Amino acid sequence: MPTSPTAVPALRAAHLSKRFSRTVAVDDLSLAVPPGEVFGFLGPNGAGKSTTIRMALGLLRPSGGHVEVFGVPAHDVGRAHRHLAYVPADVALWPALTGRECLDLLDGVGPGTDLDYRAELVERFALDPDRRARTYSTGNRQKVALIAAFATRAPLLVLDEPTSGLDPLMEREFRRCVAEAAGRGQTVFLSSHQLAEVEAVCARVGILREGRLVEVAGLPELRRLRRSEISVTLARPAAAGAGLTGVDGVADLRWSSPLELTMTLAGPPAPVLRALADLDVVALDVREPSLEELFLDFYGDTAGGHRSAGEEVRA
Amino acid sequence: MTTGTAPAPTASAAGWTPEPGPAGRAVTALAVRSVRRGAVLVTAVAAGMPALVAVQHRQLDQELAGASLAALAENPAIRTLFGPPVALDDPGGFTVWRTGTAIAVLVGVWAALATTRMTRGEEEAGRWDLLLAGPARLPAVLLRHLAVLLGASALVGVATAAGLVLAGTATTGAVLFGALIGGTGMVGAALGALAAQLLAERRAAAGLAVGVLLAGLLARMVADGVPALGWLHWLSPFGLLGRSAPFAADRVLPLLVLAAAVAVLVAAAVTVSARRDVGSGPWRRPGAVRPGARRLRSLPGLVARHTGRPVVGWGAAVAAYFALIGLLATTMTDFLTENPRFAELAAQAGFAELGSVRGYVASLFTLLAVPVGAFVASRVAATAADEVAGRLTLLYSLPVRRVRWLATELTGVAVGAVLLTGAAGLATWLGATWVGADLSAGAALAGVLNVLPVVAVCLGAAVAALACAPAAVLPLGVLPAAGGYLLLVLADTLSWPGWVRGLSPFAHLAAVPAEPVDVPGLVGLLAVAAVLTAGGLTGYRHRDLRG
Repeated sequence: MPTSPTAVPALRAAHLSKRFSRTVAVDDLSLAVPPGEVFGFLGPNGAGKSTTIRMALGLLRPSGGHVEVFGVPAHDVGRAHRHLAYVPADVALWPALTGRECLDLLDGVGPGTDLDYRAELVERFALDPDRRARTYSTGNRQKVALIAAFATRAPLLVLDEPTSGLDPLMEREFRRCVAEAAGRGQTVFLSSHQLAEVEAVCARVGILREGRLVEVAGLPELRRLRRSEISVTLARPAAAGAGLTGVDGVADLRWSSPLELTMTLAGPPAPVLRALADLDVVALDVREPSLEELFLDFYGDTAGGHRSAGEEVRA
Repeated sequence: MTTGTAPAPTASAAGWTPEPGPAGRAVTALAVRSVRRGAVLVTAVAAGMPALVAVQHRQLDQELAGASLAALAENPAIRTLFGPPVALDDPGGFTVWRTGTAIAVLVGVWAALATTRMTRGEEEAGRWDLLLAGPARLPAVLLRHLAVLLGASALVGVATAAGLVLAGTATTGAVLFGALIGGTGMVGAALGALAAQLLAERRAAAGLAVGVLLAGLLARMVADGVPALGWLHWLSPFGLLGRSAPFAADRVLPLLVLAAAVAVLVAAAVTVSARRDVGSGPWRRPGAVRPGARRLRSLPGLVARHTGRPVVGWGAAVAAYFALIGLLATTMTDFLTENPRFAELAAQAGFAELGSVRGYVASLFTLLAVPVGAFVASRVAATAADEVAGRLTLLYSLPVRRVRWLATELTGVAVGAVLLTGAAGLATWLGATWVGADLSAGAALAGVLNVLPVVAVCLGAAVAALACAPAAVLPLGVLPAAGGYLLLVLADTLSWPGWVRGLSPFAHLAAVPAEPVDVPGLVGLLAVAAVLTAGGLTGYRHRDLRG
C-alpha cells in the first residue's frame, strides 16, 4: 500500500526509554512505522521487545521519551486503543469463560469486529470456541487472541511473538492472515525472534539488542543477513579451490582437511550446488545460523567466532 | 579422545541418579517458604489473645462468681453463641469460653486457605508441572506440603498452650486446649488438601474446605442449643473442643477423635492424589460447554459473571449464621432480663445493651462488617491476581481506561456487599419473626446497612493497597474490619486510652437499631473510605501494570 510522506505514522516512538530499578530495558528508542507497513521487530530474548510494546499499549509508563499510536499518546488508551488490536506473547484468559465468550467480550468492548470474517477465522484456525479457557493449551489461547485481533478492522495490529505456541499448519494460516491484513491496508507490528517468519511476511524490520534499536532495514538487506553454513565431505581430494571460489554467495571457504570443507552461503543455493555436482560428495550438511549467531556476527560482538563472515556481509 | 573406556560414562550416570532426599528437602523448603509468614501471624494471635484474656480474667475474678455463672450454663443462647460455658471461675476456663471458638475458627480457616493456595493454587498456575518433572511424584509432593502445614498447625497449638501456661493457667488444661486448637488447624489443612485433590480450581477447593469447616461451626451451635442433636458435636472440630472441656473435665477422647479425623482426611487426600492426573480432579467441571444463548459483551457483564458465584457462596454462609441469630433472639433476651449481672459483664466485654432484642441483634450486626469486609478485600485481591496472571493485558489493550475497569469491578463488589448485608438482615428478621421476637424488617435492615461504612473503609484500604502494595491487598483490606474489631474489644476490656480506641472504625458506629444512627461517625467513615479509594484509583492509573 503506497503511503504518503505526510501520513501520521501508525506507531511512532521518540527517544523511548524504560528503566526497572537498576536495569535499562529500553534505551533511547526512536522508530516510526508508516500506515500499511508490515514491520518486523526482531531481537533475542530479553532485548526489550515486549517492554517496548507494553509501553506502546500504555501498560508500562516510559521512563523517558514518548510513544504515539496514529498521533495519539499511548497513555491515552481510551482513544489510542480504538486504532489497534493486540496479541500478547503469553495469552491469559479468564479460566471460567469459554473461547466464544472471550471473543464476544473482546468484540463488544473493542474497536469493532467483522463477525463473518471472525467465524471464518475460527474455522481456519480450527478452534473449538465452546470450551472453557481453563482447558485450552497455550496454542489455543493464542488462537483466541489472534482470531479476535485479525477479525477487528483496527488499522494497527500489534502482535508480540504470536506464533510461539502454534503448530506449523497454524503458523502457515497465521502468515496468510497477515498477508490478508496487509492487503486490507492494516499496519502490522510483528515482534518475533523467528527470522523465517519475519522474512516471510515483513517488508521492513527493526533489530533490537539490549534495549537499543541497532538496525532498521528493508527486506532485501535482511535477505543478505540470512546465511547458511554448509559442510561438505568428499570421497577423494579435489583439485585446489575445487571450483568453489568465486561462486555466487559463497564466503568463508575453509578446508579443515583435504576431504572436508565448510563455507557460508548467502542467497540462492543453485550455483553452489552446481559447483558441488562436479565433486565426489559423500555428505552434505546445511545449517542455518541462529538469530543470535547472526546478531553476534553482524554487529561484530567480541564473543562471536565468525568475525570474517561478519566482515564479508558488512562489505 | 580414545574409545572403549566405558567406566567414565557409567560413573557419571551413577552420579546423576536422582536422589529423593535432596529433591524432597527442596520441596519441603519451598512449602516452608510459602507458609511461614502467615503462620507467624496466626501463631502470634493464637498465643497472644487467650493469654491476654486469661491475665485479664484475674482482674474480674471476684465479679464473676455466684449464681449468674451457674445460670449461664443453662441458657441455650449463650451456649450457642460462645460455646458451652464451663469452669468460668477458672482463668483458663473463662479464656476457652471467651476466645476458644474464635481462635479455632481463625486457625482452621487459615490452615484450609493456606493449604488450597499452596497445593491446588500452585498446581493451577502450572508451577507444579516443573516440580513434578523432577523425581518427585504428586502424592509425595502433596504429603511434603501437608507435613509442613500440619507442622505449622501444631506449632500454633504449642504456642497457644505456652501462652496460657505463661499467663498462669493450669498446665493440663492449657496443653489440652493448645492440642485442640492445633488439631483444628490440622483438620483445616487436611480438609483443604482433600478439597484441593477433588476440585480442579483453587477457588472452588477453598470454598468447599471453608464451607465444610463453617458447617461444623453451625453444627456445634445447633448441638449446643438442641440437646437431642448433641451428638453433632462429634462431627465438628468446634464441637469436640466443647466436649473436651479444657480446664473443667479435661477429656482426652475428643482429642483422639480429632486426630483420627486428621488421619482419615490425609489418607483420603493422598489416595485421591495418587489416582488423578496432574492439573485435573475427579470433581472437575466439564470443559466443553453447550453453546448457550448467554452472550458476554460488556464489562459489567464480565464483572457480574465473576462476582456472582462468590456473592452466592458468602451470602449463603452469612444468611445461615444470621438466621440462627434471629432464631435465638428471644431465648437470649429472656435470659438476660433474668440475669442482669451477666448483661453488665457482657457490656464490659464489648457487647453493650444485650438486654433487648434490638440491642442483642445490634451488637451481632456489628460483627457482620468482618465477613463482608473480608468479601470486598478478597474481590479486590482477585483483581490483583488477575493482573499478575496477565488476564487484564488483553482487556487493557482494548479502549478501556484502567479507572473505568476498576470502577466497574468496584461497583460489582459494592453491589455484592450490599446484597450480603441485605441477606444478613433479611435472615435475622425471618429468624426473629419465626420465634415471635419483636424485630421489624426495617429495624433489621437499618442495623445491617449501618455497617456498610466500615465495609467501605475496607474497600478503600484494599484499593489503596492495589495501587501501592498489590501483593498485600487481602490483609490490608481486611485490616479495618478484623483488626478494628479486635482493637475495639481489647481497648474496651483493657481500658486503653480513647484515641487508641478511636482508631477502630467500630468506635464510630452506633448500635443500630438499638440506638439512632451516628451520622457524624458515618460521614467520617465514608470520607475516609472516599479518600482511600480516590487515592488508590489515582495510584493505580499511574503505575506500571504487572504480569
